[in-house]
Amino acid sequence: MRILRLTFVLCLLAASSYGQVQREKESVKKVKPKRTDNYIRLKGLRFGMDATRPFQYLWTKGDRYGSEFSADMELWPNMFPVFESGYEFMKIKTPNVNYSGQGSYSRFGMDYNFLQAENKNDKNILYVGARYGFALASQQVNNYRIDSYWGPTTGSYGNQTFFAHWGEIVFGMKGEVFHNFYMGWSIRCKIQLNNKPIGYPPAYFIPGFGKAESGSNFDFTYSVYYNIPWDFRKNIGVKKPEQKKVITKQVKKPVVKKPVLKKLTD
Amino acid sequence: MKQFLFLIGVLFIALACKEIYEVPPHSLLSVTITNDSTQLQMSSIVTYQGIESDSLWNSETAVPVFTLPLSNKGTTSFRITLDSKVDTISIVHTIIQKYASMETGFYDEYKLNSIQSTHHRIRSIDITDSLVTTIWHENIKINIRPLPPGSK
Repeated sequence: MRILRLTFVLCLLAASSYGQVQREKESVKKVKPKRTDNYIRLKGLRFGMDATRPFQYLWTKGDRYGSEFSADMELWPNMFPVFESGYEFMKIKTPNVNYSGQGSYSRFGMDYNFLQAENKNDKNILYVGARYGFALASQQVNNYRIDSYWGPTTGSYGNQTFFAHWGEIVFGMKGEVFHNFYMGWSIRCKIQLNNKPIGYPPAYFIPGFGKAESGSNFDFTYSVYYNIPWDFRKNIGVKKPEQKKVITKQVKKPVVKKPVLKKLTD
Repeated sequence: MKQFLFLIGVLFIALACKEIYEVPPHSLLSVTITNDSTQLQMSSIVTYQGIESDSLWNSETAVPVFTLPLSNKGTTSFRITLDSKVDTISIVHTIIQKYASMETGFYDEYKLNSIQSTHHRIRSIDITDSLVTTIWHENIKINIRPLPPGSK
């Protein structure tokens, strides 16, 4: 009985000390220091090309390939508005289906850099961002085949054009490898927005998004960038110093009377 | 080095898997054989062949339940041998084409409209579920006359 009582007392003590420690921890919560890099490091526009888009057939089912270009700039300190645009193809050829889909897509959004710069030349960024993407695409089933005991059924479906849109959450980094040359990767979670059904067969591939059947897709990009070091802001918002009018008073030159040499008639 | 080999391995597996495509599913008409007098399920030695088809779908198997493939035309006919007595059944149906995936392909589902048959062994046929889908379930019930005692 004594042991039980002792155990109970010990438990109470442990619980109370744990609570106290927690309270102390809460009170010592560190206040995040304010960022000291509230300045624009990236001058001018940065253009990029996604190096992974032409090789997507290596890891996706079917023959998927394309190209994508991007542009971004540091409009406000650590905030990068981004525009991405591209074109993609998708082909599937199996004994049962011969499918082709293609189209162009664009995305725009914003990245926020949360990597604090060490100095003004430190242009590497680690960012999270959001995108709104949309695509204008078309697809067609060149032929299909349904095998059966009674023999195969074949057919085809003509060209279907459609519009699709989606949202993306992006996490990635961009680092300067040489002066004005950057490389970077990103991981993207794409969520399809309310897309209208296009009829039969339904949309299978959305350029820039991936398989339409799944409401969400994951993607990986690896891009190379070049920053055009033209600081367009240099002349924006900077008032030209007013030219002070220098009033120059015309100083009358003292008339120097030439001494008239009087003829001495005398 | 180990990490590099692991990466190569993962890439190899990914490349090996990427071109594997599934075969589209099949919708089959599921038939249950019942004894007309007891209304209980019974087994029968069944052989069936599609009319206008050269190949047998199934031959001489003692089964209480079997499946039949429907054709891509509006009517499908089979010659069915039930314990050596031959009957012909004719199924009128509607074809509903379904889409599985672009990787898999398309397949047909069917809606049964009516069934007719000869009555050598078959007494009657009841449609229990008119929708023939890829999830095989009882669609029709063939009520057969029981064989006289002593006959094979």
